[in-house]
Amino acid sequence: MYSVESLLRDIKNTSLSKPFRILNVCGGHERAITRAGFRTLFQHNIHLIPGPGCPVCICPEEDIAYAIHLAINENVVIVSFGDMLRVPVEHEMGGCSSLIDAKNQGADIRPISSPQEAVSIALEEPRKVIVFFAVGFETTMAPIAATLLNDLPNNFKVLLSGRLTWPAVAHVLESQPNTFDALIAPGHVATIMGSEEWQFAIDHHNLPVSIAGFHPESLLLSLQTLLGNCSNKVVTLSNRYPEVVKQNGNAAAKAIINKAFTIVDAHWRGIGVIPGSGFSFASRLSHLDATNDYAPVDFPSQCAQNVPETTSPCEKVILGKMAPDACPFFGQECKPASPKGACMVSDEGACRIWYSSGERSITNVIKKGNTLKVEMK
Amino acid sequence: MCLAIPMKVIAIKGFNATCEAKGVSREVSLHLVQGLEVKVGDYVMVHVGYALQVITYDDAQVTWEMLDQVIAYDA
Repeated sequence: MYSVESLLRDIKNTSLSKPFRILNVCGGHERAITRAGFRTLFQHNIHLIPGPGCPVCICPEEDIAYAIHLAINENVVIVSFGDMLRVPVEHEMGGCSSLIDAKNQGADIRPISSPQEAVSIALEEPRKVIVFFAVGFETTMAPIAATLLNDLPNNFKVLLSGRLTWPAVAHVLESQPNTFDALIAPGHVATIMGSEEWQFAIDHHNLPVSIAGFHPESLLLSLQTLLGNCSNKVVTLSNRYPEVVKQNGNAAAKAIINKAFTIVDAHWRGIGVIPGSGFSFASRLSHLDATNDYAPVDFPSQCAQNVPETTSPCEKVILGKMAPDACPFFGQECKPASPKGACMVSDEGACRIWYSSGERSITNVIKKGNTLKVEMK
Repeated sequence: MCLAIPMKVIAIKGFNATCEAKGVSREVSLHLVQGLEVKVGDYVMVHVGYALQVITYDDAQVTWEMLDQVIAYDA
């Protein structure tokens, strides 16, 4: 078998004519990479670039604003995964710039750790309307789907803001051609959807893909495999998390997702509208949709039908165009205790991970034409 | 957000299991692993209260070692 030492040696000693640019699209991977110090360790031959890897970071501002509106103006109880409560919106809703802000001003907003907990709250408080602000990628949408297909109390509603990962990755690869040389695919998304879902990157972008787990050895195996692809001039899909990820994924979970949801075009914060990238209610669950019961609100939205030109630093970080610490606000106006952008809020946001781990080595990874310019401190 | 934690199955009743890890037990739904054989003593990867996959004892241990390091790092 492989030892960590031999993998480290192998990767470090691989000599390439130019650094190999590997995109990762999972906050868990970014955290593992950063904590293991791989970015610094392999800086001479690999550039590890975080992309759109966190469902909290890409949740559109208008959805958060709508949740704030429901909590303060419609007297509902908003329940959501803890990270969502602190995500700031640029345009305040009712004087509140986040759900926690609204909570501090008296709105009933509660963090939960599972979708079943949301249902329990609705059962315990039958006189209140409980709106579950449901955010997540496929990994989380499968449990949410399973919960929503159960018998639910009438006072339980859902504000759905789930997203599919691969269309966003496809968008990043299409909009920035020749910027990335390989992809580390998210292990727990692939647990549900299967390794085969990532074949598109090979077929359409000629990009080697490796599915990684979250311990350093699995990530090193992925890096070694991807470098091997480069050296041998082949493009393969490799699964380096086979103990959990199967080629077809979890068939029962996929069937449950398909029963609960349909796939629609959806807005991503920092990216714009991506076709076929969002979950909507299947008709059998449309009675759960909170947006049927409450009027929409005006919110200045970038949600045009076209993908907007990206301008803000957050958007550049989400798209892998800029390293977190190249942002002028990083560690200055924007810190975990007082976040200015969503990527500094979530435990899986690249900025939060870099700030908390002291990751500062690559100071400037900005796309310049078709190459990445990297300056070391 | 997509973090999953290995837990040992202690008891099963229908689609619900009591699972344990590091001395903490919680109710876990087996709804999403209904196509797989899950029995008491098995290990499952748990995300937001749902088992996503059945794994071996060895893989559970490797993941727990990694999570212990993360917890120690954060402390």
